[in-house]
Amino acid sequence: MTLSSGPVTDKTLSLRPAAVVMELERLGSFSPTRLSFARRLTRLMYQSRWQISCVAFDLDEGGYGSAIYRLETAAKRYHIVVFSRHIADEQRTDRVIADTWDLTFGLVEGEVDDALLASLEANMPLQEAGRQHPRLLVLSRANRSVRNFDAFVAALCAGEQPDVACLLEAGYLYRTTAVYGNGKFGIADYDRLRTGADFYQPFSPQMTAVYVLREFSVAQVEHIARHKNAAAAVELDSGLRRYLGIGNSTGLGMAPFLINHPQLINHWVYAREQALAVASGQSPSEEHRIHMVRLCRRAMAYFAEMRVEDSAQSERNIVVYEELDQIVAWLEQVPLEPSLWRQLMDWAETSLSLETQELINTLLIECYPDEVDALEELMSVEEKLDLTPDMPLVQLKQLLETHFDWAIEADFEAAEARYWFWYQSAEKEEPRLGVRGEEAGEEKELALAIAPRAQRVYHAITDFLVDHPRALTIDLLLAHPEHMKAVRRIQTMVATAFGEIRANLWHRDMKPMHLLRTKLSFLGAHRFDPRGDRWVRVTFFQGAPVLSDFDDADADPALFDDWSFPIAPKQQRGLEPR
Amino acid sequence: MKVSLNELQAVCRKAFLGMGFTESHAEDAADMVAWMQSHGLDGLTALSEGLECVKASALQARPEILYEDADLAVVNGQQLSVLASGNLAMELAFAKARARGLSVIKIRHCRQRQLIMGYVCRLADRGMNVTAFWRHAQSPLTEQVVGFRARSNVPFIRVYQLDEAPEENEANDGITIMMANHVDLLPTMRSEHEYALLARHDESDLLAAHRQALEEGILVLPEVWQQLKTLAGHTLVEASSTSRAGAGPAD
Repeated sequence: MTLSSGPVTDKTLSLRPAAVVMELERLGSFSPTRLSFARRLTRLMYQSRWQISCVAFDLDEGGYGSAIYRLETAAKRYHIVVFSRHIADEQRTDRVIADTWDLTFGLVEGEVDDALLASLEANMPLQEAGRQHPRLLVLSRANRSVRNFDAFVAALCAGEQPDVACLLEAGYLYRTTAVYGNGKFGIADYDRLRTGADFYQPFSPQMTAVYVLREFSVAQVEHIARHKNAAAAVELDSGLRRYLGIGNSTGLGMAPFLINHPQLINHWVYAREQALAVASGQSPSEEHRIHMVRLCRRAMAYFAEMRVEDSAQSERNIVVYEELDQIVAWLEQVPLEPSLWRQLMDWAETSLSLETQELINTLLIECYPDEVDALEELMSVEEKLDLTPDMPLVQLKQLLETHFDWAIEADFEAAEARYWFWYQSAEKEEPRLGVRGEEAGEEKELALAIAPRAQRVYHAITDFLVDHPRALTIDLLLAHPEHMKAVRRIQTMVATAFGEIRANLWHRDMKPMHLLRTKLSFLGAHRFDPRGDRWVRVTFFQGAPVLSDFDDADADPALFDDWSFPIAPKQQRGLEPR
Repeated sequence: MKVSLNELQAVCRKAFLGMGFTESHAEDAADMVAWMQSHGLDGLTALSEGLECVKASALQARPEILYEDADLAVVNGQQLSVLASGNLAMELAFAKARARGLSVIKIRHCRQRQLIMGYVCRLADRGMNVTAFWRHAQSPLTEQVVGFRARSNVPFIRVYQLDEAPEENEANDGITIMMANHVDLLPTMRSEHEYALLARHDESDLLAAHRQALEEGILVLPEVWQQLKTLAGHTLVEASSTSRAGAGPAD
């Protein structure tokens, strides 16, 4: 693989094998790390001294209207524009087929003059149905957590602070249901940003817009409270302010991204695994051990507080909590040996749950910021799946046997192994899963299952070589052009460190949730709260610094960096996970 | 109306799939059209005006090879669009040039020849020097030559009219492409015949057009967009109560 930004990569490090890392269930157990995009954003904002200020706040007493925030970086000026509209309770839905939302918002490159504002106001609330402006970098929408929103307004206008307990089930006032970038509905192409100074990392503009929405959400409830009771209303306490995040409700629409961007996913995993190899290869000092214990305890408190609806996820959280307790006891007793982290990982791998294994890896990476943070530069890549038409076919066959053995040896004929098919619904052109042989649309199946395609290519090569033993790849494709897409992908991905996600996306037991969590963990989402296999609610930026923190010259630098696994302010100790 | 490059590629890809192209051919054809459009070379007009020909080309993913040796290939374009099998013909020439240093491929009897630039740019990006040549009309005789230097994703383009046509001036509805692994093949205008330069696009012009497309969006005629969306709609499955069940949690 080509890793041009590679001064930070160390090829002598021992990475975990792809066969272990790229199993879908393991990927679906990942927790966000300090390399995740949300964490990177607050570091970048602090280090690069981004300035964000509210330049227009035209809301009525009910909180409806518009607001504009200005972002100044060393390179450019941007604006985040928010429109708040009244909607009836029955219109408020997280379903992707919704067509109205409490808030619509976006990140705009450059100035927002009256003409642009009018254009945004006419189109942004329509979301997918609008024709968006090419200077709009991000387009999104959000719905209220009605219970939290009302509780916050009621408390603040009564001169009190809201009860933190209401944030344990949903740690936000607003929940986004889609955050669009990269040219959707007329907005700017990611290619335009890729060479710029500020948003060259994938999803960095989306994270920025969501971060600013968090500020708006607090400003809005305070504004409404003031209008309801100017005499008594108070501002939100700084601890609660930081503990508020922004929710996100995500479904199957996210899943194809993981399959359609294999080089990018490979880079994300490579950066994470490189960071893990760096961290776990360190000989820990006593300070590092103490730090690791502190991180484990914080994660325990986080899991103890978390309330999720899904019983299976709730059970997994309990297991993680109990296993972290064992790890803390172990860390506090064992001798401080140079191989301590390796010992911990080996124990976890043989005895602890997948979620705990990957949580330990996240925490180990957290312990070594100086050694791993430069790896964030590996999180972007120019994606190109190129053909090598002059590759001898015997070589392609051998590469398949080496790197796609998991696919060519699988059984795709059994009914269970070909249970699902993926298709795109005419409704908002969103991806869906259908049962093969039962539901309509099989003839329009999306080609997301890579494993059976790799197997078909392998069989085609084997057959072709019988009569053409010295054939090149182009010879096969001239005879079987239908394999061109798969061959391009195979030839490209065999050169990468981690290659493909190892899963049969047709299989009855395949859980789309794992795909969603994989991506969400790299984005930096916390509090995975699945709603069945195809839908999940998460929280971004809970525990992150707020805008006023960036203006505080005396603020502890750790505030801008060390905010993972947030725990409630003034939390009650000794809570057990439910 | 204005659309983004990504949006144009996505809609074109689905439209080609809707016409019956294989996946890789649909992706390549979409990239070819979008590349042209985003470089100010009006790929959408070429597509839209020749849409019936493109539809007829959908199932012809395999180029018909009339002659082939280690350095040369002649392919029958069968009066179809270069979007049909131009990608594989180009890859064949690419493989030969990699093996032999230089290769020549002739695609006879093909349509929408200018769209081939949208694929040739990929080969240049992969390190190949490429020059493509074709004639637009016989009377007056006009010719077009397009040259990509290796690792550059924009070409030099020259379109010119020859006032004195050569004696042998048979109809030529093909396209000739030369590829060289190590040698520049950029066109330099020299001719014993009088010629008039009709159009000239340098690398800097095309880069500026691309930059503008990314900054301001790509202008598309609404009727062409609708045409593409209609074709793309053939890839979608009608919504039903079952499909809606996958659209998120029940409220």
